[in-house]
Amino acid sequence: MAPWVYVVFGTAFGWVLSRSGAADYNFVQGMFLLDNVQLYGIIGTAVAVTAPGLWLLKRAGRTATGQPLRVTPKPRHPGNVLGGVLFGIGWSITGMCPGPILVNIGEGKVYALGALAGALVGASLFGVLYERLRAPLHLPKLELGIGDG
Amino acid sequence: MLILHDLTPLPWWLAGASIGAITLLLLWVTNQRLGISTGFENLCALAIRAPYFQRSEILNSQGWRLPFLGGLVLGGALSAVTSGGWQPFWAMGIFDTTFGWGPAGKLAWMFVGGAFIGFGTRLAGGCTSGHGIFGISNLERASIESTLAFMAAGIVATNLIYRVWGGL
Repeated sequence: MAPWVYVVFGTAFGWVLSRSGAADYNFVQGMFLLDNVQLYGIIGTAVAVTAPGLWLLKRAGRTATGQPLRVTPKPRHPGNVLGGVLFGIGWSITGMCPGPILVNIGEGKVYALGALAGALVGASLFGVLYERLRAPLHLPKLELGIGDG
Repeated sequence: MLILHDLTPLPWWLAGASIGAITLLLLWVTNQRLGISTGFENLCALAIRAPYFQRSEILNSQGWRLPFLGGLVLGGALSAVTSGGWQPFWAMGIFDTTFGWGPAGKLAWMFVGGAFIGFGTRLAGGCTSGHGIFGISNLERASIESTLAFMAAGIVATNLIYRVWGGL
């Protein structure tokens, strides 16, 4: 698929995150303070729409262009919960999950650049430490190179 | 009200349904599973040669994840342009009224939180989109457990930051 298709999808997604409160510091803190239901409603509705749609798409088994549909479940390991806890702390501190970091930069919120720099450093650190974390946390073995994905 | 131009936000049901529709269309049209935090690795892979960033999942997805991330920035910019104009700003809502830190303090605080996000989402194997929306919709145990973990940790952290430290 041509790159511009993904730019269009990203732009639509970013616009909705921007206008819904999902990329807004106050709404994120309101969600975690249990003061504001907006973001719970958004995530709940998104799942309520995606779950049955996904079931139907998987049953049909084909994409719009007739390719076999590819849905690979994520591996389960102790890092799901441990990493989730670290991510939750970061989401609370910044008021942004990964998508909204980029959306907020687009909106002009200068401080979001600090969050992006931190996220790239954090992800780099994880990548460099991967082989040392793999055994104790039962993480999957790396599949290197360009496969048939 | 949003911090951006004091806008009234979209109703939650409309925003949620739109996100669901985009998730399903992305899969149906392009055969890609929604997920944003893996994109941090695609960015890292541009500069870092560690084996972790040379794995097939990353090398095979540069062509879609990088333009998708660019689209997210563009979506935020268009949202600002069409609602009162684009300009750089530092307003941070209740952080300003509770803590009142200047730009350097905010950048440092954001960097610390961002490092938790970068390391945590990669260890968890996903974030709000890949685990919280797609994974839960696909009834994956890893996603259900990870989502419960990051929501619980966020609730504890924000309550510590605002109700204990900030004295809200």
